[in-house]
Amino acid sequence: MKRREFVRTLAGACILPEVLLGQQTPSTTKNPLPPPPAPVPWTLGLNSKTPQPHTDVVDDVAATDPTFFTPVQMATLVHLSAVLVPPGNKRPGAVDAQAPQFLDFLIGDSPAPRKQLYTGGLDWLETESHRKYSAAFAKTSPEQADALLKPWLRTWMSDHPPTEPHADFVNIAHADIRTATMNSKAWNDAVDRADGNAQQMYWSPIDPDTSADNFRAVHQRPSPTQAAPKSSHTTPSYPH
Amino acid sequence: MTNEVVDVLIIGSGHAGGTAAKALTEKGVKCLMLNAGPVADVSRHTQRKAAYELPFRGFKPPGKLEHVFQASEYNTNVWVDEQEVPYTFDPKNPYNWVRVRLFGGRSLFWSRQSFRLSDYEFKGKSHDGFGEDWPIDHAELSPYYSRVEEIFQVHGAMDGPPQMPDGNFVLDKEPWSESMQRFIAAGKPLGVPVCKQRTSRGRDGLASSVNLLIPDAEKTGNLTSVSNAVVREITVDKNTGQPNGVHFLDRLSHREMYVKARVIVLAAGTLESTRLLLNSKLANSSGLVGRYLCDQIYGAGITCSVPEARNGKANAKLMGGGAIVPRFRNITTKDQRFLRGYALNVTSRNGPLEPRNFAAYGAELQRKMDEYNGSAFYMTIMGEVLARYENHVRINPDVTDAWGIPVLHVDTKYTDNEYSMAKDAVATGSQMAHDAGFEVLSSNTMPNPPGYSIHEVGTCRMHDDPKKGVLNRWNQSHDHKNLFVVDGAAFTSAGWQNPTITIAALSMRASEHLAGEMNKLNV
Repeated sequence: MKRREFVRTLAGACILPEVLLGQQTPSTTKNPLPPPPAPVPWTLGLNSKTPQPHTDVVDDVAATDPTFFTPVQMATLVHLSAVLVPPGNKRPGAVDAQAPQFLDFLIGDSPAPRKQLYTGGLDWLETESHRKYSAAFAKTSPEQADALLKPWLRTWMSDHPPTEPHADFVNIAHADIRTATMNSKAWNDAVDRADGNAQQMYWSPIDPDTSADNFRAVHQRPSPTQAAPKSSHTTPSYPH
Repeated sequence: MTNEVVDVLIIGSGHAGGTAAKALTEKGVKCLMLNAGPVADVSRHTQRKAAYELPFRGFKPPGKLEHVFQASEYNTNVWVDEQEVPYTFDPKNPYNWVRVRLFGGRSLFWSRQSFRLSDYEFKGKSHDGFGEDWPIDHAELSPYYSRVEEIFQVHGAMDGPPQMPDGNFVLDKEPWSESMQRFIAAGKPLGVPVCKQRTSRGRDGLASSVNLLIPDAEKTGNLTSVSNAVVREITVDKNTGQPNGVHFLDRLSHREMYVKARVIVLAAGTLESTRLLLNSKLANSSGLVGRYLCDQIYGAGITCSVPEARNGKANAKLMGGGAIVPRFRNITTKDQRFLRGYALNVTSRNGPLEPRNFAAYGAELQRKMDEYNGSAFYMTIMGEVLARYENHVRINPDVTDAWGIPVLHVDTKYTDNEYSMAKDAVATGSQMAHDAGFEVLSSNTMPNPPGYSIHEVGTCRMHDDPKKGVLNRWNQSHDHKNLFVVDGAAFTSAGWQNPTITIAALSMRASEHLAGEMNKLNV
């Protein structure tokens, strides 16, 4: 059978309600209708009882490939994370939760001021460490790191982190590293369910607006840049 | 159907539009309601998820909703996207425009605090000489407040001073916790009143137009609603010069549509209603459409700890409960530093304190958090922003939204009056905390950017004089008798109060007046 005809047969089967009804409630019918002619429409198998494949969170099986921070900045961030959010109390620390690698992704995706806050802050920490201890920040002892960080810790209110240079980086990075740690899979696995490291209500896109793809739209997405010249076979084709 | 003229076209479905729909349809008026966004179905659109399951681990997606501080990764999808419907401002004076276009609008998510305005607000100019009086007073609006409070099930105590009129409440009979009693005692010598919070309980905790107002309107059989209808402009009859319908676009397909109406009721939310009037070049003989944008300052406040509640000793007798400190400055005395005043939202909480309240990290931070757990006591400001001519919105002809509609340019900033208020709030709150024996952990005197409170009002203010206001005492355009604005745009001043129940009471009053006028064939 040609593919097109096959599809038409399926469509035909879909518009036979009495056949479908007969199929769903055979026990209530005295003289059940004969089974519908094969093939059964495949869409009938896609229903609320269709088994769903189970998928795992990617953090459990793979590591982030850091691409934003320089190797030195990354080493500084890893050590900073280890110092500020160490493991304890049966909870993972920031390094176990891969918070630095996650932040490399998050900050790398962020607007310029936030990138600048991090890169500037990590560079400053490294410079300070060399000035005071003639060593990379990543190699400092807990006491040395404490002496560098403690003077900059502040208390602050929501939406109003410190704006003073260095204190802004230290306090915002501390909050981000904590959040990235406590929202990680590793943390979630470690805490008691009774502790209620709770799930919250997540809103998926509602009736998503695809207007940017609409030919009438004023704001159209820029067409993707063609990396290579178009070949005559850009899309795979399947045999009929 | 397509050529039928609608009696009343309501643009917007939040508390303002929902109240108008209920009031009008119950008087037998046929209404068509247009809403710019889709209907949110919680059973279809939400899921319980842990933060680690989300792409950004619960962090707000970078670059999205930068001016919606309230947004998180969990609810990113409910707010209006700043790229889809942009607005512009001078980077030196940022503005947080916080919008929801789902059916029911922001009434789905509001914090539900429900205070009446008093004559210190309605007649502010008579009291201190600044700005303009409203054309109405509390006595005139009071019966409508009472009916709105009934619908919203406002929970509160009859303990308000004259600047916070009591209402038709579900009575709060809970005793004060001990920490609150100490705070009340600390206020006495300073002349700072402390009252029970007033909150709309609605039904099942939701006090939205979608569960309290629109179902009643639908029951009458007189309401037709359309979602995803983005209104471009109000059209005008060439012969009479009066509004006679609207052009709108389907949000998804961008199909251009047109509907005719005898009367148009704008309820799209303060700045969207004003944007529509400005884009339609209507109702502006006063030149004041877009002027006198105001709101309340938020963001300043204090976080304290009640020492007796530390080290696991917190209990329900000592901790818990909320209070409102109604405005107390410039009521019986005159403050030299600023006009009007501010309220404080006060919360005593038997729960964890946020880590940012401690200048510590690692094991030391954990010790502090364990020690202080259960002892939190918060004060946050809601301060009146003065209605000033220069604080305004206008159309930016160079920028359009996703449907090609020109956007707003917001030109507004706070002044020393607001900054002085914020400083006084923190100083007075700290004094009270000290006198009550609380430890102040953190404080902030810098307000959030204008707009953050989501209480933007003004820009089509009411005034009896058509030269001094856009609307008359019935929320009706001075220029066009068949055009009404029933949302916060009508406010003559902001007050310190959350505007919602005032918006609903005004919308109810205006809509019933409109129904009467239509019966008499005056409109």
